[in-house]
Formats: sequence, C-alpha cells, structure tokens
Amino acid sequence: MVLKQKSILPGFGLALGFTLFYLSFIVLIPLSTLFLRTATLSWGQFWEIITAPRALASYRLSLGASLIAALLNVVFGLLVAWVLVRYSFPGKRIVDGLVDLPFALPTAVGGIALTTIYSGKGWIGQYLEPLGIKVAYAPLGVVVALTFIGLPFVVRTVQPVLEDFHPEFEEAATTLGANRLQIFLRVIFPTLMPALLTGFAMAFARALGEYGSVVFISGNMPMRTEITPLLIMTKLEQFDYAGATALAVVMLAVSFLLLLAINLLQWWSRRRLAAL
Amino acid sequence: MSIEIRRVTKQFGDFAALKNIDLTVNTGELVALLGPSGSGKTTLLRIMAGLETPDSGEILFHGENATDRSVRDRHVGFVFQHYALFKHMTVFENVAFGLRVRPRSNRPSNEEIRAKVHSLLQLVQLDRMESNYPSQLSGGQRQRVALARALAVEPKMLLLDEPFGALDAKIRQELRLWLRRLHDELHITSVFVTHDQEEALEVADRIVVMNEGRIEQVGTPEEVYDHPVNPFVYHFLGNVNLFHSRVGEGRVKIGPLEIDAPEHAAAQDTPAVAYVRPHDIEIERHKNGQPAIAALIQHIQSVGPVVRLQLNRQDTGQMIEAELSKERYRELGLKAGEVVFIKPRHWTVYQGEGI
Ligand SMILES: Nc1ncnc2c1ncn2[C@@H]1O[C@H](COP(=O)(O)OP(=O)(O)O)[C@@H](O)[C@H]1O
Ligand SMILES: [Mg+2]
Repeated sequence: MVLKQKSILPGFGLALGFTLFYLSFIVLIPLSTLFLRTATLSWGQFWEIITAPRALASYRLSLGASLIAALLNVVFGLLVAWVLVRYSFPGKRIVDGLVDLPFALPTAVGGIALTTIYSGKGWIGQYLEPLGIKVAYAPLGVVVALTFIGLPFVVRTVQPVLEDFHPEFEEAATTLGANRLQIFLRVIFPTLMPALLTGFAMAFARALGEYGSVVFISGNMPMRTEITPLLIMTKLEQFDYAGATALAVVMLAVSFLLLLAINLLQWWSRRRLAAL
Repeated sequence: MSIEIRRVTKQFGDFAALKNIDLTVNTGELVALLGPSGSGKTTLLRIMAGLETPDSGEILFHGENATDRSVRDRHVGFVFQHYALFKHMTVFENVAFGLRVRPRSNRPSNEEIRAKVHSLLQLVQLDRMESNYPSQLSGGQRQRVALARALAVEPKMLLLDEPFGALDAKIRQELRLWLRRLHDELHITSVFVTHDQEEALEVADRIVVMNEGRIEQVGTPEEVYDHPVNPFVYHFLGNVNLFHSRVGEGRVKIGPLEIDAPEHAAAQDTPAVAYVRPHDIEIERHKNGQPAIAALIQHIQSVGPVVRLQLNRQDTGQMIEAELSKERYRELGLKAGEVVFIKPRHWTVYQGEGI
C-alpha cells in the first residue's frame, strides 16, 4: 500500500524488476508456449475443439465443481478457523495440524483414500448409496475431492485475521443492541471478507488445476465425470498436442479472468478496511 | 437510573478479582472507579454492563433486580478502553449502528437516523468527519466517536473504561473537562474507570477507591482527598510524606515536634505513621522559638504557580517533599543548599508501620 503511493523504502525498482523477471520465467513464458502451440491451428479448428460437446461438459464440471468446492470451503473453513481461534479444547494442536494434511499428502493418495471411503462398499458410501446418493464415480465425488484439497486455504487465511479480532467488537455490538445474527452479518463477516475472498480465490484456483485426486474418485466418464485437466491429459496421451493446448488456453483464460475479478473485489473490500 | 451493587464477588480461576462489593450509584451521578491496575475496576464495570456475570451478589437497576438481565436488555452505553470502533464502517455508520440493528417495529427511518447521527456528531464536535473511517482519525476523535455511538441508543447509563487512558496528556485534559460539561448537559448516570487520581478528582461527583478487588473508600473528591480512611487511599490520592514514629496517649513525637492524634488516645507507645501532604508542610527560615525540624533544601522546581521543594531532614536524612505558592517562595527567598525549618500544618496518623 505504501509502495503504491510513493516509494520510500529503498530498492523498490530493483524489487519490482526482479518480480517481473521471476514471474516471466516461472509463469508467463511457459504459459505463452501454450499459445504458440495453438497457433498451429486455424481459428475454425480451434473453435471446433474448444466447443466440442465433450469439452463443454468438462468445463461445466470443472468450473462448477471447483466453485462449489471453494464455496463449501469458505463456509466450513471459516467454521474450523473459528473453532480453532475461539475455543480451547484438548487436542486442539492436533486438529490444527490436521488442517494442513491435504497440503502435505500427494493428492493421488487423498484421491484413493476418498474413493475407498465413498465407494458403494466404503465406510461412508455404504450408508449413502441406499439413500440414492452416489459420491464416488459421480460428479459429487469431484466436489468432495476438490473440497478436500482446498480446505487449508480458507482456514489459514482467516485464522490470523480472527486472532486479531477481539471479542470487544462483538461486545460493543451487543451493548448497542445487536443480536447474534446481526453481529455476524454486520460486524464479523465484513471484517473477515478480504481474508475469506483470498481463501476462496486460492481454493478455487487450486481446485481448477487439480488432477491427481479427482481421477481416482470421478471414474472419468466422458460427458459426465470428466474434468478439463483430464481431457487435456487424454489428448496429450493421444499425441494431440494442439488440441490439448487449445483446451488449456481456455482454462487459462477463464481462470485468469476469475482470479482477476476476485482480486479486484478483494482490493475494493480491503481498501475500506485499511489497517488501524 | 440508579445502579446498586450488592455483595458482588467474582473469581477468575483461583484469583478473586472482586471481593464482596457494595456500591450505589445515584441517578444522574458521575462516579469514578479509581484504583491501581488489576484492582478490579474493569471487572466491576463489565459486571454492571452484563458483559461479565458475578459469581454471587446482585445488581439492581432503579431498584429492580437486573442480575440476570442480558446485555441487550440493560440499555447501557459502554465505551471500551480501546474504543472498539468498527473498522469497516465510516464514522456515520458506527454511530448509526445501534439504531440500524433495532427490530423493524421501532427502527427509526433513514431520515430520522441521519438527523440523530448528525446531532450526536455535532455534540462530540465531529460533524465534518462523518464519512471518514476510524483509521483516519486521531485517538481523541476515535474516543469521541465511541462516545457518540454509545449515546445513540439513548442508554439509561453510560459506562466508560479508562476513556482517556490511551491519549496524550494535553488531549486527556481537554477531553475530561469536555466529558464533565457533557455530563452536566445530559445528566445521564455515568461510571468511568481510571487509574489517574487527578482525572478522578477533577471530573467525578464521587470517587470509589478500589484496591485488590475491594472498595477502600467512597466519597466526594474532597472527602477522599482530605479525609482518607486508610493509608492506601492517602497514598493513592496524591503525593504524601510519611513520618514514622510512635503514638501514645493521643500524641505523636516526630523528632523535636509533638503533634496531636486524639483519635489514638487509647494507644500506648504503639508504632504509627503520620501522613502529611506536600502542601501541608510549613516552611520557615527561623525557628521563632518553637520546635521545628531542620531540613536542607536539595532541589527547587519553580516552574508554574506551585513551587516544589526536595528537602533532606537533618536529623534522620529522610527525604521530604514540600509545595508552596510562588508568592510565599519569593517572600522567603529560598535557595538550594540552605537549611530551613519545617513542620506539618495538617496530618493524619495511622497505627502500624505504614505502606
Ligand atoms: N477474563 C479474565 N480471566 C482471568 N483473569 C482476569 C480476567 N479479567 C480480569 N482478570 C484479572 O482480574 C484482575 C482485575 O482485572 P481488571 O478488572 O481488569 O482490573 P483493572 O481494570 O482495575 O486494571 C486482574 O488481575 C486480571 O488479571
Ligand atoms: Mg482495566
């Protein structure tokens, strides 16, 4: 924030130069080769590939499941962070450590574990299936896997903000006559909004790119449970590099636009919360 | 509205924060809870607000038992030590908060809210700041927003926790006089917490002196300052000189002096301490034929209307602090390094070794 107004800290030019250079090498240049690859296609071919019914179905699933998973993570991540910050209970440290597990685990392991639990004969699946709820090998399984891998983001972004949020603010609201719901909606939620948005953006971005855990639980049925990253892999395996990169470009453009939108929203909400 | 506290106790774990507190705050009064840090002032204030529940005892509002009344139903205005302004709301929205959260049936219209908030912001002299965020205000301004916010809900009493604690000296001074004027205007029953005796003496109608979870004395500023009931109150309400001695048959010997202590007529050669405020030390150049204590002037601080002297008792080497008016100081023509004769003008004698 300070840097944007006026550079008081030394080395701003150098730091910015390095950042751009670094981002170019790590992100921009590798990704731009994608666009070069697609350049071998004509517009017509490109359009045909990216609007193929199987591709469209995969976007729907990828975007939809990622969105739902990120939203679930916002709700339950907030809950977990709240419990971890506000209450003390035996084993709190362990629970706190568990939160990071989805980060540490190879995602394939997570995928296999979830599949085992949620398949028709699994621990949880056996109770859900008679109710007509199919998780493994269904779109719902994709949501479950993406929720699993995205959980830590919201918890870890919201936790420090909550730790700074003293009960005094809630007490002030209570003495002014607010009830619990009003306090949550008018005081707590707006304060947490920037952190929640950050967590949401990260969980969502992570979910869009996730591949390892989903392939196990989804069953990978074209038109039904096939996510875009998997479709890209399939095309690569068939040496259809141009087709794969065409889909990748779509994913990339959509992710970028969504993340940009979230960033703007965040910038707007953070500006109002300028630190005291 | 009057507040009555009856035999209230509060434990935090093994620690007794409040021990059997009895206190009545009369309607329209401005009362100060004064005491050192950790003496239970905040806890008592929070119990009045309902933010903390007492382990035993009762709280009566206007004669009615309110011990189990919820915070929302108590209609108290509470101003927190660190203001607790909502950072994501403008000054206007902060003040309007209490009106906006009212149940729909008695929520004022937007125009009414606007009018009310504007009049409150005028009252606290912040009408030009309404669209600023708390982060853009100074400490004193935040404090006044917090006060306006508390007043917006028309509370039956106002509770303020160290309202000027976090401000610098000059603003503190201004704000406390302003608070006094505001109170005289609104006449709302108010209790404020402070650890600054000057603040309490200057602003409050009555002072409640607290120490280690107990009330030591309740009285007007004059009462607690001039007639402290025990050494603690004496110490806490200003600078004081201690003369260690013994009391017997209602008289105390301090060096060559003998002073009266009729309230200790029954004592027989018991250890005692005479407490004398710096401005109650009389200074003379000559003995004038009467017994007096010889003391060496070590340091003179003569800035302002009151001159402060650091003296050294010649017989015991004890340091004595004395205050006198500038006029008297000029009249005597005192200089550091001179020997003068001192004796107490007013004193209070307590048995024991003092604190
Ligand atoms: N919520 C609490 N839990 C444990 N101890 C507390 C709590 N609140 C206050 N205390 C203790 O009670 C004592 C009195 O606190 P407080 O009322 O805040 O004193 P004061 O406001 O006079 O400084 C302090 O020793 C403090 O540590
Ligand atoms: Mg306190």
